[in-house]
Amino acid sequence: MLLFFVILATFPGEIAPYNPQATDFLPGLGPSRAHWFGTTAYGQDVLSQVIWATRQSLLIAFAVGGLATVLAVLVGVSAAYLGGVADGTLSLLTDVLLVIPIFPLIIVIAAYEKNSGLGMLVIVLGALGWSYGARQLRSQTLSLRTRDFLESARVRGERKLYVIVCEILPTMTSLIVATFLGAALYAVLAAAGLQFIGLGDPNSQSWGTMLYWAENNEALGAGMVLWAIIPGICVAALGAAFALLNYAFDEISNPALRLRRLDRPIEGARGDAVPAVPPAPDRILEVRGLTVAYATDGDPVIAVDNVDFDVGRGEFLAIVGESGCGKSTLLYAITRLLGPPFAGEIMSGHILFQGNDLVSLDERRLRHLRWREFSVVMQSAMNALNPVLSIEAQMRDACKAHSNMSDKEIAARSREVLRLVSIDPIHLHSHPHQLSGGMRQRAMIAMALLFTPDLIIMDEPTSALDVVAQRSLMVQIKELQQRLGFAVVFVTHDMSLVGHFSDRVLVMYAAQVAELGKTRQVFAQPRHPYTRALMEAFPSIHGPNARLTGIPGSPPDLARPPAGCRFAPRCPQAMARCHEGVPPLHDVEGDLVRCVLFDEGAVTEPTLVQVS
Amino acid sequence: MSEPLLRTEGLTRHFRVGKLLSPKTLHAVDDVNLTIERGEIVALVGESGSGKSTIARLLARVYKPTRGDIYFEGAPLSRMRGRKQRLAYSSDVPMVFQDPYASTNPAYRITHGIQRALHLHRRDVKRKARAAETERVLDAVGLVPARAAARKFPYELSGGQRQRVGFAQALAFRPKLIIADEPVSMLDVSIRIGILNLMSELREREGVSFLYITHDVASARYIADRVLVMYAGHVVEEGPTEAVLQRPKHPYTQLLLSAVPDPRAELGVADKTDVGEPPKVVDPGEGCRFRARCPYAVARCETETPHLRLLGERHRAACHVAAADADLPVEPPLAALTDS
Repeated sequence: MLLFFVILATFPGEIAPYNPQATDFLPGLGPSRAHWFGTTAYGQDVLSQVIWATRQSLLIAFAVGGLATVLAVLVGVSAAYLGGVADGTLSLLTDVLLVIPIFPLIIVIAAYEKNSGLGMLVIVLGALGWSYGARQLRSQTLSLRTRDFLESARVRGERKLYVIVCEILPTMTSLIVATFLGAALYAVLAAAGLQFIGLGDPNSQSWGTMLYWAENNEALGAGMVLWAIIPGICVAALGAAFALLNYAFDEISNPALRLRRLDRPIEGARGDAVPAVPPAPDRILEVRGLTVAYATDGDPVIAVDNVDFDVGRGEFLAIVGESGCGKSTLLYAITRLLGPPFAGEIMSGHILFQGNDLVSLDERRLRHLRWREFSVVMQSAMNALNPVLSIEAQMRDACKAHSNMSDKEIAARSREVLRLVSIDPIHLHSHPHQLSGGMRQRAMIAMALLFTPDLIIMDEPTSALDVVAQRSLMVQIKELQQRLGFAVVFVTHDMSLVGHFSDRVLVMYAAQVAELGKTRQVFAQPRHPYTRALMEAFPSIHGPNARLTGIPGSPPDLARPPAGCRFAPRCPQAMARCHEGVPPLHDVEGDLVRCVLFDEGAVTEPTLVQVS
Repeated sequence: MSEPLLRTEGLTRHFRVGKLLSPKTLHAVDDVNLTIERGEIVALVGESGSGKSTIARLLARVYKPTRGDIYFEGAPLSRMRGRKQRLAYSSDVPMVFQDPYASTNPAYRITHGIQRALHLHRRDVKRKARAAETERVLDAVGLVPARAAARKFPYELSGGQRQRVGFAQALAFRPKLIIADEPVSMLDVSIRIGILNLMSELREREGVSFLYITHDVASARYIADRVLVMYAGHVVEEGPTEAVLQRPKHPYTQLLLSAVPDPRAELGVADKTDVGEPPKVVDPGEGCRFRARCPYAVARCETETPHLRLLGERHRAACHVAAADADLPVEPPLAALTDS
């Protein structure tokens, strides 16, 4: 659409059928083959006028857009980057311009400088139209200012100007384009408005001027409807073009805005009856054949592939693996938190919790279970807690949403759970930012304990903490678990962390279970080469200081998992047989291992997985 | 003794905090004397808020010291004049940052930082030779094949690879000392070791010294020759790595060591542990800053700030109670730490 206008503006002479100023025709003609949009009261061809007028409107749009953007960038970015007095002054200027009613001001200035022509109009509009963009750019720069790559540039010894122009600006391209398009849009509208009320040069050729003359000649009443309507439509269309372009750019530069859905139906998972196996009384969670996929531009990516496991009552199960092996997806699937922005979907399988299949449960009953019966502690408490509410308010919200406790009961319970995690109840009135990282995680756990759930699911709750705080939090979790008897599913990438605390450990690799067994047994005798590699990946403070190698390479791309054993490409013990097919899970003395090394042994499908 | 590569004398950095009418002073770093020899890896260990990142930024000249000075090859930084001298220092002492996802500019190829470093600091490398030099440093940090790696954008790399880019940038300066501020703490455990090995290799091959800042004592032991332990702005213990880790003198070092998860140790230990937090040191008075959490605190700790004392060979600790001959118990009774 914009292109169309640009072509019109570039070659008006070639496109327009007549000279726009020539008053050669009969005035006030209606639309006809010779004059598509009729003629004006002065006998000019409307179509030709519109086409010629495009040039000026676009010129104003681009000139004002450019000027306003340059000013916005200059002011916004330097204010934020330089900080201090410069920021104070420039922000004040921006804010003042923002609150001034711009349009009347423009009218006043334009009226004062009435006959100074196009250049003046551009300067006035540009000088007044940058403040909105400047504010956005300033806040964006502020958020970038402490980013390490800018600090890295400073440490490198770059000059300030270089940092602003070459380090900050390129990262904000989309915002700058948006500022430009916004300013251009505003310029088209403002210019048309000004010219319509007769400010500016009445002899210029622009849509606003056409409207002005049409209005003066009462075109609508005099049968020259199109004289007035066509320039109006043009203004609207150009405005829409800029706005659409802005959206398009936003979407291109931010892929997260494009939400994909799997078009493949979910194979019988939901709506299926719960398998006719009575829930085992000693198990609180049974996951059966769970498969989760993410939609992508290509084939769906299977992030959790046919995973089975149970959690016993009061048991501590650790799920271990590197980033990108599907452990977080597994956790989101169990808690049914998949969906935007985690655009994964459960393809098949069952999640049995207290006699309910969480996969097919509707949202209302799910809400009832969540938090009361099972709760979730997320990785970053700073993100999971609401920064503007006190701890007390957030606890109250949670209680209100999931129960009908009275305010008094809620207050008493909030105090009680904070004491449980060794936080002084005085912190009920604190906001999250006033607490240290360790205290925030404790507060999260306290909130998870509000209803004494049977199961708490934790996603790397300690990964943002220092060793001392991490250790103390782990001890606390273990102690509470033993005292209150809830079960824990604990996701982490740090194998060393769970050695002392978990009852069983599930090692995940590339969406599949690699090993599952009792923690003592797995740590004493890791059977899967991947488990062994994980165990040898971190240095120790005891024993000889041996040189370690870590795990070479990185986990496979789940869009194209290797055929056969998925760990084979990184495995020090890989052999030809590994590439022939996915090895089954072998039961080796109660320890499930997915590795061909155990092929000769008791090659039986483990009893655990046989349910449906 | 010859002049060390870098030495600080009474390095102190305070920040003003609080309201306009009741100004307070946050003591981020107080009176730190550290030395780094040529080709040495020194680990600076402590919890967040202990001042270790402030030291990194003081050495990288992001902050100016409130008191004290930094001597690089014997010359005080405070007497450095002019852009040329400052550039020379920043090329000798580059820094590697903690967050590999934030430390490369997403708008450029990963070689941007390397190219700029060559442009600013190594004018002798002519335009044509820059591509070759870029490939050399990428190769040195294990990003192979270097030619293909050089064409990538940051989002195409994993966290571990991005951190290697950070080291490649630092190498492009032909540095004498690299300040590595928690370079592995945001990475998966499985790839941390690769970065640690890389640092050892760079020391061997390129003769670079490292100041390795971390809260992970085990990784410090893995690569460092010497360890400095920081608590609340003070260095509380320093010495050769094995001496400090096997015979910790300061109660805080003992606490830190007991918190390291170690599955190779006996399983099933679920001891009570410390729930205290490192204090924010705002307008501190005299006295040991660890005393509130310390199981061995005596009256003297309340009134007199302990200074580093020599307690073993090149092994110092700032504690009134720790003694040279009678070691504190290596496994501290953690239960005693809980009531703080």
